[in-house]
Amino acid sequence: MFNKILIANRGEIALRILRACRAMGIGAVVAYSEADRESLAPQLADEAICIGPADARRSYLSAPAVVSAAIVTGCDAIHPGYGFLSEDAGFADVVRAHGLTFIGPPAEVLEKFASKEATRRLLASHGLLTVPGSGMLRDEAHALEEAEQIGYPVLIKPSAGGGGKGMRLVRTARELEATFKVSRSEAQAGFGDDSLYLEKYLDDNRHVEIQVAVDRQGNAIHLGERDCSVQRRHQKLIEETPSPALSEAARRDLAERALRAIAEAGYENLGTLEFLIDSKGEAYFIEINCRVQVEHPITELTTGIDMVALQIRIAAGEPLGLTQADVKPQGHAIEFRILAEDPAKDFRPQAGQIGAYLAPGGPGIRVDSHVYPGYEVPTFYDSLLGKLSVWAPDRPQAIARADAALRELLVDGLTTNIELHRAILANQVFIDGKVTTNLLDRVGSAPFVAAGNR
Amino acid sequence: MAVTKPTDRELGKPEDPDSGTLGSSSDLGRDAVRALRDHAAINRLADELLPALISRLSSSGLGEIEVREGAWKARLRKPATAEHRVRVDEHRLHGAAAVRPPAAGHRDDRDRHAPETAADEELGAIVARSPAVGVYTPRRDLVVGMRVRAGDRIGFVDVLGVQQDVLSPIDGVIGSSLAEAGEAVEYGQELVRIEVPGADGATDRPTPGQKAAAAPVAGRP
Repeated sequence: MFNKILIANRGEIALRILRACRAMGIGAVVAYSEADRESLAPQLADEAICIGPADARRSYLSAPAVVSAAIVTGCDAIHPGYGFLSEDAGFADVVRAHGLTFIGPPAEVLEKFASKEATRRLLASHGLLTVPGSGMLRDEAHALEEAEQIGYPVLIKPSAGGGGKGMRLVRTARELEATFKVSRSEAQAGFGDDSLYLEKYLDDNRHVEIQVAVDRQGNAIHLGERDCSVQRRHQKLIEETPSPALSEAARRDLAERALRAIAEAGYENLGTLEFLIDSKGEAYFIEINCRVQVEHPITELTTGIDMVALQIRIAAGEPLGLTQADVKPQGHAIEFRILAEDPAKDFRPQAGQIGAYLAPGGPGIRVDSHVYPGYEVPTFYDSLLGKLSVWAPDRPQAIARADAALRELLVDGLTTNIELHRAILANQVFIDGKVTTNLLDRVGSAPFVAAGNR
Repeated sequence: MAVTKPTDRELGKPEDPDSGTLGSSSDLGRDAVRALRDHAAINRLADELLPALISRLSSSGLGEIEVREGAWKARLRKPATAEHRVRVDEHRLHGAAAVRPPAAGHRDDRDRHAPETAADEELGAIVARSPAVGVYTPRRDLVVGMRVRAGDRIGFVDVLGVQQDVLSPIDGVIGSSLAEAGEAVEYGQELVRIEVPGADGATDRPTPGQKAAAAPVAGRP
């Protein structure tokens, strides 16, 4: 096992990793940027080191700064958290070249799963369904032919695009004819590459992900699923487990298929396979996250397994020490991302000093946050202030506990999305467990808040 | 970018099957084979490896990539940005002949160091800080009382074998050292005091030297 781990991240996840290290009796050094000096993780750590200025490119994203900090503080491993360098194969390689351990999949594994397209093809070859699509389109006639095969509606996607940019939705052959040339010139103008392909558009889909853990010896388990269908512009807001979208048999079947595919494909360490579930209950694999997820606490609440500790033990070469039979999820858990965003002003990120702050308590309540009264929220990073996670024996009780906890939670000094969360909880679509990923974007958040205030 | 062949001493033995215990200098045939192999390695590096590395480096957030193959290694480094090279804390200069680094993070920095700043200002001292996290080495001839100009190199911080210059933020005289040679330092750590004659707490006016040194780098916002 490691003697001392450098925590190369910020915010709530830096604190979460620090807590795991302490519980495991491992030393920890928190690496922070100048803008995060007052954050809770560097404040609570026995040892902390400033690695650069606020600009993440020169601190949390700088491989030399991070590795140098680990070396000068005598660490033997680096935990990258999520985001930043956490899925960077080049970084994992640099870490290893300096005789340190990267806490995550080995560099070759990250490399193998780096391309979304290649990963989809790889896992399709191991039996997972992927969203039906075409290859690169030669011309309009080819596009029409492919669209006919896939079945409308389809998305026209620029090959060089990303993050939903330049996508066009077409519902008929006529729309495709009318749009094709425009899309091609837009792609050329926007990305300098006019190649296009088609993908089936899944209307009212749900986002369900499977958590897996694979050790170096090849032992593999899944830790159930998480439903992350409450999203705003592809950003998850609320996650829960088990998923209300699938029956118990369907959930187990999906988890088992996902685990078999990823284990056969040679994965190692914690991983999350994300799926879109269409209205017929068909699950299409979309991507894998090769790191700890923001929403890992709900899996911890239902399974009782410390995921960060598990991740560290796997990276140290230890066997899982668990079999599938040891994973017995119980009850229901929901996580709320508490964001410094103003729902009334197009979710504009808020910065400023937190005044009064009170975290809720009671049975089944967990708060992961790096803030405290008087903490100044810096402008340079994401708007996540923390996560409220709630556990109860069943979903209705979890919703009730969550509402009570959200009422207790006090974050003064800046606008947050706490009220939006309460409004969503009170909404019949959520209560029925029928939220789809497009719901918030389609209706906007205002009706939710308005209805919640009544 | 640097492509270097490390000396045998730098290389671990297992990586270099040619670094036997027998001297190879007299063995001409072996040297020729080695030279041919080296040429092949250079060609392969130039044709295949470097373009891939360059695209990898530019698409990543990394500042530097090093790859080893056999007895060869290639190291690519992104050029340091201007802000990286010159780092002067505006608030320490009475806001007069100041260069403000573009990185916005220094707002926090200013608040945080406010009490020390007042003390420094009373003493008429400015501090040279570490540009990076690594191991500090002062310039060999650095002594208290030595005159330096703004931008003069007064030492370096070794970051994974790459030297990052510690620069004097101002024209002045070297004062006391705040870190030892060989000490592990963090980003922004105070390393050397620079005494500024005539710039004690009462003066708001910069010396002409300060102004001249700061002006070409950046205007005051």
